[in-house]
Amino acid sequence: MKNKLSNTGGTPDAPAPGRTTGAGRLLITVYGIFAISASARAGFQIATAFKDAPLAYLLSAFAAAVYIVATVSLARRGHKWAVAATVSICIELAGVLVVGLLSVFDARAFPHATVWSMFGQGYGYVPLVLPLVGLWWLYRHRDRAAAAK
Amino acid sequence: MTVDGWFYVGLVVGLASTIICVVAAVTRKKPNDITLVSLAGVELFILVYAGASLVRLATGEHLAGAGWEFWGYMFTAAALPVAGFYWAMMERTFWSNYVMGAVGVTVVVMMARMAQIWYGLSPAVQHLQPGIGQ
Repeated sequence: MKNKLSNTGGTPDAPAPGRTTGAGRLLITVYGIFAISASARAGFQIATAFKDAPLAYLLSAFAAAVYIVATVSLARRGHKWAVAATVSICIELAGVLVVGLLSVFDARAFPHATVWSMFGQGYGYVPLVLPLVGLWWLYRHRDRAAAAK
Repeated sequence: MTVDGWFYVGLVVGLASTIICVVAAVTRKKPNDITLVSLAGVELFILVYAGASLVRLATGEHLAGAGWEFWGYMFTAAALPVAGFYWAMMERTFWSNYVMGAVGVTVVVMMARMAQIWYGLSPAVQHLQPGIGQ
């Protein structure tokens, strides 16, 4: 263990340039945390109170699925996975915008909150910022992703 | 939500770990013994909290919320430092310190939820907690 931990010789690495390395790993981490918490929440809602608001809770489950797909496709190398990540993050962005707007202007339609309600207010607005950061990250690494085809 | 000593200790341990890791990341250090020990401290705290919670429940205290939800949070909180460690060690750049820094603050949020489940939500904050348990 000591050897493993102290094996830090050499100069510090510059951030690795790939889509799945460097800052990409942090992005994947945050997506992973949201995938876990959204899944757990949707599972809890559906298991305990599905009858109260089936639509909101199915939406929670959908959001959880989107986060899982985004996490996995962000973590995989290759052009196809970059496309999958882009599509899932676009769906995520559309979801948080549509659900956020609906929950503001028609609060009665969304009495039972989802991760996207009020633009993700309950989660510190991270659900609103995360897809923008994700798309920017994918855009920055578009050439590299295409070259890996 | 009632705030108890456990939450405060968790808050200090979790935020300290996050701050240590973020400072190391900002100064472009690779994960070193200090950041790894801070992550291990978070794990140790969760394990002690889990053991103490078992003892408290066995000696007559009761959860206000659902037991399996509480232990679901506990299990996830215990898994996070381990997962963060592996995910960070797969690529040892200063970015891995940011990854490990995300663990502490996430555990603090989960500590807050566990405190809510333990003591129950006070009506004043109930509207702030969207969805679960309403």
